[in-house]
Amino acid sequence: MILPFLAVIAGFYIYPIANVLWLSVVEPEPGLGNYAALFDTESLRRIILTTIRICVVTTFFSVLFGYTIAYAMVHMDQRKQNLMLALVLVSFWISILVRTFSWLMLLGHNGLLNNGLQAIGVINEPIAFVRNELGVLIGMIHYMIPYAVLPLLVNMRNLDMRVMRASQNLGATGTQTFLRVYLPMTIPGIVASTILVFILSLGFYVTPAILGGGKVLMIAEYISVQILITLKWGTAAMLATLMLFGVLGMLYVMSRFMKLSAVFGGGR
Amino acid sequence: MDKQFLKESVQQGAVAFKAGKMDRRAFLTLCAMAGVAVSAVARGDAHAAANQIILWNWGGSSEVCHGQYIAEPFTESTGIGVGFDTSGPLQGKIKAMVDSGSVTADVCDADAFDAIALGDSGHLEPIDYSVVDKAKVLDGFAWEYGVSIIFYGYAFMYDTEAYGDNPPNSWADFFNTAEFPGKRSLYKWANGSLEGALLADGVSKDALYPLDLDRAIAKVKTIKEDSLYWGSGSEAHSMIVNGEVSMGMVWQNRGKAIEDDTDGRYKLVMNEALAMPGAYIVPRGNPAGRDAVMKFIQTAQDPKAQLGLLDCLGMTPTNPTAFGMIPEGQKAYAITSAMNIDKVVYNDPVWWGANSEKAVNAFLEAIS
Repeated sequence: MILPFLAVIAGFYIYPIANVLWLSVVEPEPGLGNYAALFDTESLRRIILTTIRICVVTTFFSVLFGYTIAYAMVHMDQRKQNLMLALVLVSFWISILVRTFSWLMLLGHNGLLNNGLQAIGVINEPIAFVRNELGVLIGMIHYMIPYAVLPLLVNMRNLDMRVMRASQNLGATGTQTFLRVYLPMTIPGIVASTILVFILSLGFYVTPAILGGGKVLMIAEYISVQILITLKWGTAAMLATLMLFGVLGMLYVMSRFMKLSAVFGGGR
Repeated sequence: MDKQFLKESVQQGAVAFKAGKMDRRAFLTLCAMAGVAVSAVARGDAHAAANQIILWNWGGSSEVCHGQYIAEPFTESTGIGVGFDTSGPLQGKIKAMVDSGSVTADVCDADAFDAIALGDSGHLEPIDYSVVDKAKVLDGFAWEYGVSIIFYGYAFMYDTEAYGDNPPNSWADFFNTAEFPGKRSLYKWANGSLEGALLADGVSKDALYPLDLDRAIAKVKTIKEDSLYWGSGSEAHSMIVNGEVSMGMVWQNRGKAIEDDTDGRYKLVMNEALAMPGAYIVPRGNPAGRDAVMKFIQTAQDPKAQLGLLDCLGMTPTNPTAFGMIPEGQKAYAITSAMNIDKVVYNDPVWWGANSEKAVNAFLEAIS
């Protein structure tokens, strides 16, 4: 009974991926030339570094904000908790395009915030919040926060709260209890949401393209240009392969800390 | 995207069904999956898909405009229908389509440099000049694997309130942020931006090609701190309308709309505009066959069709007979009007066809 589905996966999923791997070593000529370019092309290295830098910053702030939100949620009564979860999920479900353009309207040159600040006389010239790296980071962090919240929430809900009471009973202050008992117990959640957010950030395309004003070039957009415009499919396939194995490696690390099914919303 | 995929599946299915390669039940299942009403199929809408020219263009109002000014007269004279794929025929997509062996488009509203690059790599059908008329194209804009139907161009617009009595009038002014302070916007994928930079740097119109890439990139970098870069026409449009830039490069056919949207605050400069020949190209092994598609291209050469596209899309005719017929209100914006034809600089698609990879990547590297 499972066999036809396996065939579907093999045909529509594994075959194209294998094809990409294959392209990365045969286009434009057989050999490892595309991979060698990584070492002797400065621009490729810079694009990869930009991508990693943006993803690290995005991940740090998303997990920080996500942790705060999840922490607040588990300490609220059920009704407020449901309300907050609903709010997180609503932003989770809104299309990335809509959210990106909303930032443009809010923070743009003639946006709500700049116009407001000018109207009350705080600033004379609009502040450049978007069309630069700052804009990309704002858009990406905002998009990623729900992804950081959900694994942390799962983790925090499953903690045995009696341990915290025991800690206080033994004379620890609130801060001590948090830093020495609560925080260590949430490390699996932190690792899971960190890796999840980092992996998803790597593939960002729309947000940098729109909020970056053309000056923030990340791997995903570069791959798209190489496929659609410059026809350097070998380079594109090489970068895609690199990302694929990078992501698989990180998933492997994550699987050591947490059941993958729990992270991706399966049973707890 | 999904809708497009389903539409194509049904069209493919209709072709297979007609050719007897797919049975009725399988075809109807496919239609049901794609959400096409069986009654529509019974009426023959999907059948018709098998008997038509598919024009692959860039969406927006182009579907309506191409429909009204090329497709309607074509269907009237030949009885062959016209369908649209509005997903944008980028070079990579055309190559992938031909390589995969399932060609679903007959003619692409592409760039001339695509005709050169993809013609050289064997992905296109040659143009049949016994049907398509070389005399109906400005000299030098009919190639073996593509023929120019329209010109569009890279020009720039400036903020009349920022520059008052001393308005910018050349690429040299555009790149001169000392005398003309303010933000600029340029096209992200190098075309036009490189030529503008070289003209600003003092290269003469006639000595532009082959482009001196290093020199152009160096010039682009001089205004990098003051520049934004756009990837789509609507992005270029909004950067100007929202006041993000004081001077913005645009596709010239948007000039009139932007002047209207800003109540004339921003003005188009056509001096040294870079004229880009668009080209109709035919993917190799197109489903409707060579004869039908060549007749379609012939229809698009008609001055009436080209003037219609000018009115509807702002795209400028390439048929010299049409140049003198450009209406008064369009003369200031059209590339080949008597007013502008001596001021524009023509893009060299042969250079771009051979060098676009190098140029685009060098440009991206410089701006990011």
